[in-house]
Amino acid sequence: MFKMKYLQIIVFGLLLGSFFSCKKPYTPAAVTSTNSYLVVEGVINIGADSTIIKLSRTVNVSAVVTKNPLAGAAITVESDKNDIYTLNEIRRGYYTVVGLNLNITKKYHLRIKTADNQEYISDFVSAQITPPIDSIGSIATGNGLQLYTNTHDPNNNTHYYRWEYTETWQFHSKYLSLYMSDGKEIIPRPADKQVYDCFNTDTSSTILLGSSAKLTQDVINQAPIIFIPSTAEKLETKYSIMLRQYALSSDAYNFWVNLKKNTEQLGSIFDAQPSNINGNIHNVANASEIVIGYISASQVQTKRVFIANSQLPSNWKTVYPYDCEQDTTYYASPGSGYPAVANNLIPLPTLNIPIVPFVVEKGPSAGSGFIASSNECVDCTIRGTKTQPAYWK
Amino acid sequence: MIKIYLLSFCFLFILQVGFAQQNNAKLISGNFQQATIAQFVSDIESKTDLHFYYDASQFDSLKITLQVNNQPLDTVLEKAFRNTDFHFSVSSRQVFLTKGRAVVTELALGFMVANTPGKIPVHRPNVVIAEYNEEKDKKMPDATTENKVYQIGIKTNEPLSGNAILSGYIRDIKSGEGVAGSRIFIGEPKTGVSTDQFGYFTMTLPRGKHILNIRAMGMRDTRRQINLYTDGKLNIEVQEQINSLKEVKISGDKIANVRSTQMGTTKLDIKTIKEIPAVFGEADVLKAVLTLPGVTSVGEATTGFNVRGGAADENLILLDGATIYNPAHFFGFFAAFNPDLVKDIQLYKSSIPEKFGGRLSSVLEITNREGNKKNFTGSIGVGLLTGRLNLEGPIVSDKTSFIFGARTSYSDWLLHLLPEAYKHSSASFNDFNLGISHQIDDKNNLYLTGYLSNDKFKLNSDTAYAYSNKNLVLKWKHNYNDKLYSVISAGIDRYQYSISSSANAVNAFDLGYHIAQNNFRADFTYLLSPKHTISFGVSSILYKIDPGTFDPVGTASLVAQQIVPTEKALESAVYIGDKYDVTDKFSVSAGVRYNIYSYLGPQTIDNYAPNLPKGPATVLDSTTYKSGKIIHTYQAPDFRLSARYMLNDNLSLKAGYNTLHQFIHLLTNSTSISPTDVYKLSDPNIKPEHGDQVSLGIFNNSKSNTIEMSVEVYYKRLRNYLDYKSGAVLLLNQHVEQDVINTQGKAYGAEFLLKKTTGKLNGFISYTYSRTFLKQDDPNAGELINKGNYYAANYDKPNIFNFTGNYRFTHRYSVSLDMTYSTGRPITLPIAKYEYGGSDRVLYSDRNAYRIPDYFRSDFSLNIEGNHRVHQRTHNTWNVGVYNLTGRQNAYSTFFTEQSGVISGYKLSVFANPIPFINYNIRF
Repeated sequence: MFKMKYLQIIVFGLLLGSFFSCKKPYTPAAVTSTNSYLVVEGVINIGADSTIIKLSRTVNVSAVVTKNPLAGAAITVESDKNDIYTLNEIRRGYYTVVGLNLNITKKYHLRIKTADNQEYISDFVSAQITPPIDSIGSIATGNGLQLYTNTHDPNNNTHYYRWEYTETWQFHSKYLSLYMSDGKEIIPRPADKQVYDCFNTDTSSTILLGSSAKLTQDVINQAPIIFIPSTAEKLETKYSIMLRQYALSSDAYNFWVNLKKNTEQLGSIFDAQPSNINGNIHNVANASEIVIGYISASQVQTKRVFIANSQLPSNWKTVYPYDCEQDTTYYASPGSGYPAVANNLIPLPTLNIPIVPFVVEKGPSAGSGFIASSNECVDCTIRGTKTQPAYWK
Repeated sequence: MIKIYLLSFCFLFILQVGFAQQNNAKLISGNFQQATIAQFVSDIESKTDLHFYYDASQFDSLKITLQVNNQPLDTVLEKAFRNTDFHFSVSSRQVFLTKGRAVVTELALGFMVANTPGKIPVHRPNVVIAEYNEEKDKKMPDATTENKVYQIGIKTNEPLSGNAILSGYIRDIKSGEGVAGSRIFIGEPKTGVSTDQFGYFTMTLPRGKHILNIRAMGMRDTRRQINLYTDGKLNIEVQEQINSLKEVKISGDKIANVRSTQMGTTKLDIKTIKEIPAVFGEADVLKAVLTLPGVTSVGEATTGFNVRGGAADENLILLDGATIYNPAHFFGFFAAFNPDLVKDIQLYKSSIPEKFGGRLSSVLEITNREGNKKNFTGSIGVGLLTGRLNLEGPIVSDKTSFIFGARTSYSDWLLHLLPEAYKHSSASFNDFNLGISHQIDDKNNLYLTGYLSNDKFKLNSDTAYAYSNKNLVLKWKHNYNDKLYSVISAGIDRYQYSISSSANAVNAFDLGYHIAQNNFRADFTYLLSPKHTISFGVSSILYKIDPGTFDPVGTASLVAQQIVPTEKALESAVYIGDKYDVTDKFSVSAGVRYNIYSYLGPQTIDNYAPNLPKGPATVLDSTTYKSGKIIHTYQAPDFRLSARYMLNDNLSLKAGYNTLHQFIHLLTNSTSISPTDVYKLSDPNIKPEHGDQVSLGIFNNSKSNTIEMSVEVYYKRLRNYLDYKSGAVLLLNQHVEQDVINTQGKAYGAEFLLKKTTGKLNGFISYTYSRTFLKQDDPNAGELINKGNYYAANYDKPNIFNFTGNYRFTHRYSVSLDMTYSTGRPITLPIAKYEYGGSDRVLYSDRNAYRIPDYFRSDFSLNIEGNHRVHQRTHNTWNVGVYNLTGRQNAYSTFFTEQSGVISGYKLSVFANPIPFINYNIRF
């Protein structure tokens, strides 16, 4: 919709400006708040999936770690007909309850009692059915892959949508290592110790919203999900995305739009100014206390798709994320006799990993040892896991 | 002619040398009624043996009314020429009649010893010029020379008493165009008037001899000597300052600073504007306005400006009387006004004349030149991004002229330098001006002004934006008599924009927005007496706004057509004002303007529950009104008062108070004006804005009016200024009242200005301290901003310092330097962060609780003129310079944004590097 396009003006303005203008990092003199505010994130899941509520508190902008989970609270989901369901804290600030399968004719809200005896409730919201995701598609453009989703509500009843995703991809390290150190010597690498093939996972970090409110039918056509550059490692072998779709009320949609505007889209020439983010959660005793978050009650609809490298344009080349090169490591370096293998490759943990042995028979560099490279070029587990997900195919 | 005249002087002198002086004792009787000099002389010659010598052409306008009975010659002549500029000398039987000075009939002391007749001092220069234009003087004098005494009205030798009215035009001798805002004043008694926009003036003076001093911007100061007998006319032609690298002149005239009752009014002529370096080298009217004390903006790349704490939509921008809704081109990098046509601009920020209304903060009047009535001329200008053409000339010589200007951009080369993703974007604009002025006769003039501007930009073949201004004004000026004249004008103003996109077939749309404004006004000026100048009139504006149509494009589009119903309203006003010179030292202007605003049908209006926030839940019902039905009327008087007291010739105190109403509001929730903001008319749910301002000033001129100093202070209140709820949607909103909230504002400040108007080094320095606060404390509005406390407005910049200087090395070379410093504008900063939606996010402080870093910029330009020979085919001008000389990276804004889940703060600068520019102009 044109709102999205409008954003482009901003970017365009910036770029037009790039001839003239510039964007520089800026750290103002310590801007701190004396208060730490409650943050509530999650959805009352009315279907068979777990309801997960995360509690945390805000930290100062200058703080190194943003995560500040709030433990020890008691959370319940309550209906307007006095049904009560209790959530359990399964790790700090992470409260869940298994599939509630709620009655969709009732209204629900959340009640939170914190360890310091403050009580918060969210406004009652109707339970919303989420229509299923019709499809996830992709368009290969000149410089990358744009993923999008389509959905529709045949009842013309939903109009507002939010998406989250988890993406998983298979990748491999730059060099295939056939040897490894066991701490004492270099041994051939056993099959279960291979570090060439890995999987990595990431979750969405931008707020993805869609609205069909201005259309005659409740149809979302090609709502953009993520853009992956053609050089990304994600596309090197096989890529998969799991999309979760939530229906929103118009109030909830406004909250998310506002949050997105305020935290993802600010600061360019024609931008809106920051504004208050009004959630639907309040301190029972002090209505003016700032509480961040909006609790809706809806189903989640999911869909997973796979994209193999073979489906992509053949001229797309992955750019490995690190500068890599192979070098010779001698048992005894020619000339100096330095025991490079014993000193650099064998002691664990090591920064260099042997790849293959080599022998130079004659000449000034005669000797033997291993071709080696730095561990980020050889060991994929540095940034991934070797465990293949159960759904991988 | 000249030689003969000189000879006659010598001849007269020589003649008289041979005769001894003697008294003529013969007594004369006679009765002359409106006698010409010939009749008078021949009558006396017939009665005596006297012989008269005179230059008949000098006496052609003299009429003698005289009754004498047996009087000596001396007495008769004395009576005949009393109160005129004529002199007589009697030597024996010769009588010499002269004009201006008497012939001395005695030899100068020692004449025969040392002097020769050839060295007799004769005032040659006076004589030389006085002959010019003599023929014209007989009808309506076109007074072009300083040393001639122009006789106004029907001449008589009777004693002159009482007052008479002098009126006429001040015109540029070269183009024949009226010179607006020039000031005509006399020393004794101290009085003066200014010409109106057409160069017309009318003033009441005591009968008799006067020296008129004429001062006009960009024109050479000049004087005219008159002898005022009865009511009459005098057209004065003035010459342009030939040295085109002349001093900066900010005010229409040098003593108006001190003498006029107006305050908070500034005029800039185009020469001054051109000396202020602009970012792409093309003179920019709006950037020039920003150098004035009391004017700020939120930042660069915005043409919205804020006057004394007012919002950007509270300025009425008039181009020759046409309302310009979007005064910017190309994302605000250019003003919409073609600098080759603009004559001058005038900004009213406190003493807003009662004939203006409808906006709260200021009136910016932009006046284009009239076409040259004598010759065809033109100019071509070439800059980095734009080219300009201007043509003008007579249609009927001295009666009808036209002026045409066109400007277009060729900026795509710049866009092609952008990264791939934006390479295929395009942006362009053009604008056209046409002015026709026609003199029907002495009493009637017609003026037609047309303006058209178009802006288009497209983002990588995806979304296309376009906007356009269209204006047409016809003015008729009519002089009923010397005391009363009127200007009646009718015009249409259009503004529209559109956004369309067809990249996604299902969502392809076309959005349109349109304002149409038809207006009519009649302004009268009546010179009741020398002490009272009355102005009165009526004005009416019929608004028709199509606030948005949203249409599907293409068969695949599922976009639902959405049309926000058309709004109509009629804004009318009647006004009357009087400028009353109570005494020489004290004068007062007082005016009242009565506004009547009616919101008209057809329309459906939601009725809300009283004392509750307006929202979907509080709509009680709605009422539908038929076409033309008056739905709601707001009416209120505006008062305009100003007074001036002269402490001495060079020092005055002024005070003013005014109130204003505004019925049309710009809805924007971005920091600066963007091309897609919407205007909304006041309706039953959205009250008109109103404000008042009290101001006080001290004005001083020193060093023969070459140094001007002023200090002004003001306090201003704003009511019902519109602010927005968080997350408000303003475009295509059928219930805007649910998303806006009324805020109250206050602004105060002090402005200091020091100007040097002449000399090789000239310019001005200004310092402004000003504050602007808003508050929203109505609990019924649904949302309090900052808990209902005052918060600084976006454009609240307490300290502003401006320097504009120009140094002229020679007539051909001059340099200009501009410096601007201001406090950084307020912003809302994050005070805490948290994790939400998979990423770090920030929580913002109270609105505008912090400020961006201070702003400083200096610009430099070198102006080179071609040679100054008057008679050559073309005149060239080069203009080279650097914008933001120090390359300071001024923050336009700061923002905090999440990237890959981490919050980083950024500072965005527009024009972060020194930007060189070059401009070439050719005049023909």
